[in-house]
Amino acid sequence: MTASSAAVPSGTGRRLLRHLNPGPYGWQTTAATVLALLVALALSSALIAITGGSPAASVQALFQGSMADWTAWTSTLLYMAPLLLVAVGACVSARSGLFNIGQEGQVLIGALAAAWVGLRLAITGPVLLVVMLAAAALAAGAWAGLSSLMYRLRGVNVVVSTMLMTFVAQQVVAYAVNMPWLLQESRVGNAPVSPQSNPLPPSGLLGSFGEYPDLQINGGLILAVVAAVLVAVAITRTPWGFRLTMLGRNPLAAKHAGVRVNALGGAALAISGALAGLAGAVLLASPVGVNRLQPGIAMNIGWDGLLVALVARNRPLAAMPVALLFGVLRSGGGFLAATGVPSFLVDVVKALLVLAFVAPPVVVALVRRRRSSDRTAGSRREATPVAEEAIA
Amino acid sequence: MTDDERARELTPPSAPALRLRGISKRYGPVVASDNVDLDVHHGEIHGLLGENGAGKSTLMKILLGLVQRDSGTIMRGETPVDVHNPQAAVALGIGMVHQHFSLIDALTVWENVILGDTGKIDRAAACRQVEEVSRRYGLPIDPTARVDRLSAGERQRVELIKCLRRDPSVLILDEPTSVLTQAESAELFTVLRHVVRAENRAVILISHKLAEITAATDRVTVLRKGKVVFHSETSATTPPELARQMVGRDVSLRAEGAALGMLPVDGAPAPADPGTGTGTDAAAPGTAPALRLRDLTVTIDGVAVLSDLSLDVAPGEIVGLYGVEGNGQSTLGDLLSGLVLPTSGTVELAGRPVELDRPGALHRAGLGIIPEDRHSSGVVLDMSVAENLVMKSIGDVSGRGFISRRRMHAIARRLAAEFNIVTPSMDTPVRSLSGGNQQRVVLARELSAGPGVLIAAQPTHGLDVGAIEDMYQRLRDAASGGVAVLLISTELEEVMALASRIAVISSGRITGVLSTGEATAERLGMLVGGVAA
Ligand SMILES: Nc1ncnc2c1ncn2[C@@H]1O[C@H](COP(=O)(O)OP(=O)(O)OP(=O)(O)O)[C@@H](O)[C@H]1O
Ligand SMILES: [Mg+2]
Repeated sequence: MTASSAAVPSGTGRRLLRHLNPGPYGWQTTAATVLALLVALALSSALIAITGGSPAASVQALFQGSMADWTAWTSTLLYMAPLLLVAVGACVSARSGLFNIGQEGQVLIGALAAAWVGLRLAITGPVLLVVMLAAAALAAGAWAGLSSLMYRLRGVNVVVSTMLMTFVAQQVVAYAVNMPWLLQESRVGNAPVSPQSNPLPPSGLLGSFGEYPDLQINGGLILAVVAAVLVAVAITRTPWGFRLTMLGRNPLAAKHAGVRVNALGGAALAISGALAGLAGAVLLASPVGVNRLQPGIAMNIGWDGLLVALVARNRPLAAMPVALLFGVLRSGGGFLAATGVPSFLVDVVKALLVLAFVAPPVVVALVRRRRSSDRTAGSRREATPVAEEAIA
Repeated sequence: MTDDERARELTPPSAPALRLRGISKRYGPVVASDNVDLDVHHGEIHGLLGENGAGKSTLMKILLGLVQRDSGTIMRGETPVDVHNPQAAVALGIGMVHQHFSLIDALTVWENVILGDTGKIDRAAACRQVEEVSRRYGLPIDPTARVDRLSAGERQRVELIKCLRRDPSVLILDEPTSVLTQAESAELFTVLRHVVRAENRAVILISHKLAEITAATDRVTVLRKGKVVFHSETSATTPPELARQMVGRDVSLRAEGAALGMLPVDGAPAPADPGTGTGTDAAAPGTAPALRLRDLTVTIDGVAVLSDLSLDVAPGEIVGLYGVEGNGQSTLGDLLSGLVLPTSGTVELAGRPVELDRPGALHRAGLGIIPEDRHSSGVVLDMSVAENLVMKSIGDVSGRGFISRRRMHAIARRLAAEFNIVTPSMDTPVRSLSGGNQQRVVLARELSAGPGVLIAAQPTHGLDVGAIEDMYQRLRDAASGGVAVLLISTELEEVMALASRIAVISSGRITGVLSTGEATAERLGMLVGGVAA
């Protein structure tokens, strides 16, 4: 790595290159990724064929549903927004060395808070939307902050607590939409009531730029992109981000350097929760859903957002194209399911794609080590059994 | 003696255990190894010397298959062999104790020792093996102890046991003594002598201490900028010659006596040279001490690691805290780094008590510290040289809320030049610097912060001769500039050369404070043993 980076000219260009660089051994990783993608596609086609579908028609459907026309693009971008928000949050906490994996629950809590503000507070006009978003961020941030508190008070592992809190969040939302005094929809005449809230008032909805059938860009997407850029700048360019990075890479040295380790870690967790909460508010208030709080409103966006961050290696700017890709899979996947391909297959395809992105850097590094030790194959073959003997 | 002779008969010097020919390795613009030829013989200890960054560790990592060479041949006897991964090295019987410990803190001794083995884990068998090796070589250790509870000397033993258990024919030790006390070093050399004389193994020993090299090795090779510049039988050379070969110029050994570990240890220590001085003398009584430690007690798991430790350091004074490793020095260092809170007692800086529970309070109050374990708390290995250099003053290189890369790099370049940090660029991660240059990054950052009080814990560990000389001068300069310096050291020569007062620590308490004039080896020895003199 140093050998290649030393060859790169210094200055801005170099820094740019470093950001674009997918990892060590640049072009090999890229080639391996392309290869892995092809394999993933081949496997997916095989699976679809086995279950009785037509791979060609499936690809066609995937494309139709996600990119074929402006309407398809609109729906892709509607999914991209919450995915990106969750992923950007995940970047913040991962950077600090704390792994928040409870985004699914934080999304729910964000949606719950936004719904309560939107339906129960008598706020009118555009202020309502602002208050909804703020409430979502605050509530989900505090929710994630609880995990940091549990860690500090009782030493509970953050990964475990954030995940378990997701199940608690699911119960809380289910309770809220089943209790008339909380958020359950109002009874109209004798019609049965469902476990969901009333629809949001129009002033609580996120508007879009553009009109059907043209491309529509929802406010949620703008919010997500702005958040990604802000977080990217904060992480790489500010003293705060510097401390965060230090904390993630060597907490002891960070403490030694005077970083408030607990406070900073807690803040990182809360921020990642807040961004997931915003994603929840966007899911509630943008046309991606029905603008009501429902127990299933998170739609696994929290989990998928984590995957986005994983593929983007915790870099907020890289998360943008990845979130777009995942958006494509979601909108295209929905379309695909409509053509009869079972929806679990869409999930399998998604998993294969994640692997295709995450595995190559590791594989390339391994192969390189192996190959360099194979240069004189003869002596190696001799050496290996002996090595095993010696170790055994 | 008969062992010795048999060993020599078995393998005459004409059949080296290991033969390197034309080994080269470049890291971008840096030539870490330049066409190196080296023969290592059975039954001999081969010393490897060189300045920080000369390429010693790199060469050894190539031998071990941890680093891939660009060109050159490694031969076992007359047959070229391929060492392209550590397993191959193990198979060839090459074992190494690394410059920085590679033990896992949270695991026990036996777990660490069998780490990397394949097959079923047999705890009892592993413990037995550890005990067996430890008995055979006289390296006492409890196989079930957790590694994070061990002192540096004990960790070194574990590393050695781990290595010896695999029965290597070539044993490499990269600066094994830089964290050891004199007694521990002596013990190590006894083991090494046994290993080469009685068991006919080959040993490669890297050290910056010329006295050790001349005393312990049979043959010595000096590297400079990756090249072999000197090679000789140890008996045919002298420390001054070696120093000259390392640095490439004459070195005034008198001034560097302590650095080289060449001052007489027993007998009366040489009085400090008034010219180079011990900084200004202790300030007149009555002035507030710059650093006042008062009744510091630290209890960890019910054991008092420090008890009622009190010590004053006046501005302009260098006080040495001398003692055998593992008597509370590292806890005191952690405390003064803000990593450990005292159970009772206070730290006062310039007459003001410091609120130790506030992060960064010590730093803000003007205390700089060169921590003993630089790898764990001194640097962030995966951040760049520039970032590590400005780590504690990141606010100062920021304007309007943003870090100015330009300013950060300007400061980094200045410090790198001033402290002779050899690095390909300021953006290089600290991880890829040589061990000594990593140390210099910490020294540069702490010394340049302009502290009022400077704690230097084992500041010369891992530094080469020239850098030690430079370090001593900096500590003296700091003191004559009015800084209160507390030098925590296990090396008597170092303390004697620098300090005007010596406080002796034993079992977590100060057993006595002597001026350099009063300090004799006997008195210090008694104090170190916990007897008030
Ligand atoms: N992974 C790496 N990437 C880039 N440069 C490296 C890497 N490892 C070593 N170097 C460079 O190679 C040179 C030799 O380093 P090496 O660690 O071998 O020195 P050394 O002789 O062991 O020094 P010290 O006494 O300080 O431990 C140094 O200039 C170092 O910066
Ligand atoms: Mg080294």
